[in-house]
Amino acid sequence: MTDDVTAKPDPLIHPITRLSICGLLAAGADWVEFAALRDAAGISDSVLSKQSRVLEEAGYVEVRKGAVGRRPRTWFRLSAEGRRAVQGHLAWLAQLEQAVTAGTREVQQARPVTGDRNQPRRVPPPLLGST
Amino acid sequence: MPDVAGDPAALERLRVQRNRLADRIRPPWWYLPGAAIAWAAAFSGPFTLRYLPRVDYWATGLAQLAVWCLLQWGLTRVTGVKVGPRPLRVLRDGLFYYRPGRPALIAILVVSLAAGEIEFLLLRQGLFAAAVVVAVVAVATEVALQRAWLREIRQDLRNGGGAA
Repeated sequence: MTDDVTAKPDPLIHPITRLSICGLLAAGADWVEFAALRDAAGISDSVLSKQSRVLEEAGYVEVRKGAVGRRPRTWFRLSAEGRRAVQGHLAWLAQLEQAVTAGTREVQQARPVTGDRNQPRRVPPPLLGST
Repeated sequence: MPDVAGDPAALERLRVQRNRLADRIRPPWWYLPGAAIAWAAAFSGPFTLRYLPRVDYWATGLAQLAVWCLLQWGLTRVTGVKVGPRPLRVLRDGLFYYRPGRPALIAILVVSLAAGEIEFLLLRQGLFAAAVVVAVVAVATEVALQRAWLREIRQDLRNGGGAA
């Protein structure tokens, strides 16, 4: 991601299905075919159709329809506006992840020795892998 | 609301999904042999110029470009993901506008220019066998680099490195 991205949440990308679609389209591919996007996101045809329409209407995603032989094929890609929004949202999520990880570490460091009945409850380590 | 990415676990989920998308970009069996044919045609150019002057040098170049485009089209059709620089964008934004796999792409260009030039020099000196060896090594190197190029693209897709 570029440095000039402003980390801010985008309510349109916030739902996890739309985040998946946008995040996959922003990964580096130019156009992604319907089936490839559906399989990678692990969602159904109808969910992808519905959510991609919302993103298309918002101007975040471009849709191109074509055919290979007699089989219709639909391709998606992020628009420039969509790319900016996704980058901002992902940067915001990354900040959130860092904050959660740092908070968990602080709690773990402040934990008293084992056996103290007044010690705070143990906080499990973060499930997230840091990149 | 279960459908809301209100926690950073959404990023972890996205990483898994990006891995799945990247895993799709595996060359089919015909891709690398096709690339080898295209590169062999390219590195036969200096020989053609010297020994078969009636064969149009630019026609072989265009044929090579056509094979390259055919390979990319086939790869897109098989994987469902369009990767690599698009011809129209290249004309507008330059060859290196596409970030994923850029180092391998630069290496491909450097090797092709260097090998072609060395072949010309060797043929001018009359060292036919040495020029053939250079051409064979160059084809093998280019195919390996093309494989590396796809690997780098996969890696960038995993990391979201092409996001900007």
